[in-house]
Amino acid sequence: MELRKYIARRLVQIIVIFFVILTVLFLLFRLAPGDPVSRMVDPDMTPEDSEYLIAQLGLDQPIWVQYIIYIKNFFVGQFGYSFHYGEPVVKIIWDRLPNTILLFTTAIILSALVGVFLGKIASWHKGKKTDAGMTIGALVTHTLFLPWLALIMIWVFGFKLGWFPINGMVSEEVWLDPDSGFVAKALDVIHHMILPLATLFLIHFGAYLLIMRSSMLETLKEDYILTARAKGLEEKVIRDHHAAPNAALPVVTSVGLSLAFSINGGALTETVFTWPGIGRELVFSVSHNDYPLAQASFLLIAIVVLISNLVVDVLYAYLDPRIRY
Amino acid sequence: MALLEVENLSIGYNTKGGYLKAVEGVSFALEEGQSLGFVGESGCGKTTIGMALMGLLPSNGSITQGRILFEGEDLLEISEKKMRQIRWGKIAMIFQAAMNALNPVQRVVDQIAEAIMTHSPAVGKRGAIEQVKDLFQIVGIPQERMRDYPHQYSGGMKQRAIIAMALACRPKLIIADEPTTALDVIVQDQILEETKNLQREFNIGMIFISHDISIVADVSHDIGIMYAGQLVEYGAREEVFESPVHPYTKALLSSYPTITGDRSLLQPIPGETPNLIYPPDGCRFCDRCPGAKPGCGEESPVWVDVSPGHKTLCYHC
Repeated sequence: MELRKYIARRLVQIIVIFFVILTVLFLLFRLAPGDPVSRMVDPDMTPEDSEYLIAQLGLDQPIWVQYIIYIKNFFVGQFGYSFHYGEPVVKIIWDRLPNTILLFTTAIILSALVGVFLGKIASWHKGKKTDAGMTIGALVTHTLFLPWLALIMIWVFGFKLGWFPINGMVSEEVWLDPDSGFVAKALDVIHHMILPLATLFLIHFGAYLLIMRSSMLETLKEDYILTARAKGLEEKVIRDHHAAPNAALPVVTSVGLSLAFSINGGALTETVFTWPGIGRELVFSVSHNDYPLAQASFLLIAIVVLISNLVVDVLYAYLDPRIRY
Repeated sequence: MALLEVENLSIGYNTKGGYLKAVEGVSFALEEGQSLGFVGESGCGKTTIGMALMGLLPSNGSITQGRILFEGEDLLEISEKKMRQIRWGKIAMIFQAAMNALNPVQRVVDQIAEAIMTHSPAVGKRGAIEQVKDLFQIVGIPQERMRDYPHQYSGGMKQRAIIAMALACRPKLIIADEPTTALDVIVQDQILEETKNLQREFNIGMIFISHDISIVADVSHDIGIMYAGQLVEYGAREEVFESPVHPYTKALLSSYPTITGDRSLLQPIPGETPNLIYPPDGCRFCDRCPGAKPGCGEESPVWVDVSPGHKTLCYHC
């Protein structure tokens, strides 16, 4: 099958690109100013202690030796210990990644669904009040500054009204209580998730709405829409069955890219809401010269970007029969 | 009663430059199973007439006067719901841009079956697909290509699929707007030949619209020559071709080459078509007419009968 061959070819490409990223990352970290040991040392440490520490971390080796060790470690799945936490990097990432995926996947899928739906309606009422209202609304929410909106949300709904917790992802009293079952725990997470989710939703749905709207307007000019009209179809059928599936294609690309970049792009949201995700960890590890953790986080981003691109391409082939690889 | 009678139809478009009078005072009639061809240059209003018959004028277009009687019923008076039933159920269309007239993300069979099921829901999906099989046989596309997507078809096959779709609901009238313009001449000829046979076989009334006078000549019983939004000459094919009277018809005929006729230099028509936002007084062809006389540019011409059924919009012919 052609599609299978295409995926195989793309996977080979992905591996090559990944190697390039691996190498660039290694070099970037060695070129970056600052020294991890200076963060860890105590003022009472002797220079010998500090040198011992450097040797322990392997930082006294020539750079090419470090590189070979780095590549070898990657293949055996050994990402080392975080300089800061002293825990295995893999464990830290495994702990944080699901939280990020939960929040961002939900937010992006929700905003894409709502955006596509509203964009379709806006395009159908082009030039009328419904359209103007939706377009302006989308532009306003989309251009809001995310940290500002997040703080306003916390202030209004968390602090003033007290409807939602203002930070974190779980309440200890619920999770430490041996009596609380799965439902209670899930509800607790959802309760914590609503504010960051609403913030991300407000920022993102406008973009999908605008993409869908303009894509629909282009599609409605196509000849096959005229054919559909001439066939005597109802306007609703024309809109939902003939125009929307074609018009939604650009949204798929956009969703794929948003998902790919949610790991690092989410750093701001995760920081403001103290959501224990990977984005926050990434910023922290970079600012603390925590090489192993930062490297692993960047590699994770690279993998996610590469894979989501592949998924978008395959999805495209499925949605648009004209695309064959 | 004629299948279709159009009386004094005028259509215009709101444009940035002003109100464009695309069609003015056009009348014609079509009997069941007959065919009629409209010829004219781009922008003469022939496509606009086709769209008006389907009730599919763009939103800036409007019909300012006239009647369109289809089977005795005025299409301009009936409800949108009724009009939807007539579209494709009674009047089908073969489009100018047939290459893009099929939805790229749906299978051809589904698109044709959709037309059938919209107009006779009782048939059901399975029954509709059976009918599509027959239609493919009629237009000569192998049945195993039914489940293909439009991009997998050649230009000729797409046009055949459109013709199959046009026949799907056994319409009384098919409007073919530049049906073969995008095809090479060999395929063009095949498609025209097949269309002609199908029209006879199913006794369908047809309106051919083309800028290419040779195509219209090939397939129509009657011919209307259009210029700047008006019909200028109308009559049986033989009459119009063998004894054209209107100077524009004559000019049009001598600007096309023939294979069998005498060798002569092609005569391009000098000048440009008039602006239809501010149409000129009097005869619209006056500026380009070799036989223009004083007064042609002031007084509007009226219809003159040349012979029974053959008439022209010119004083001096």
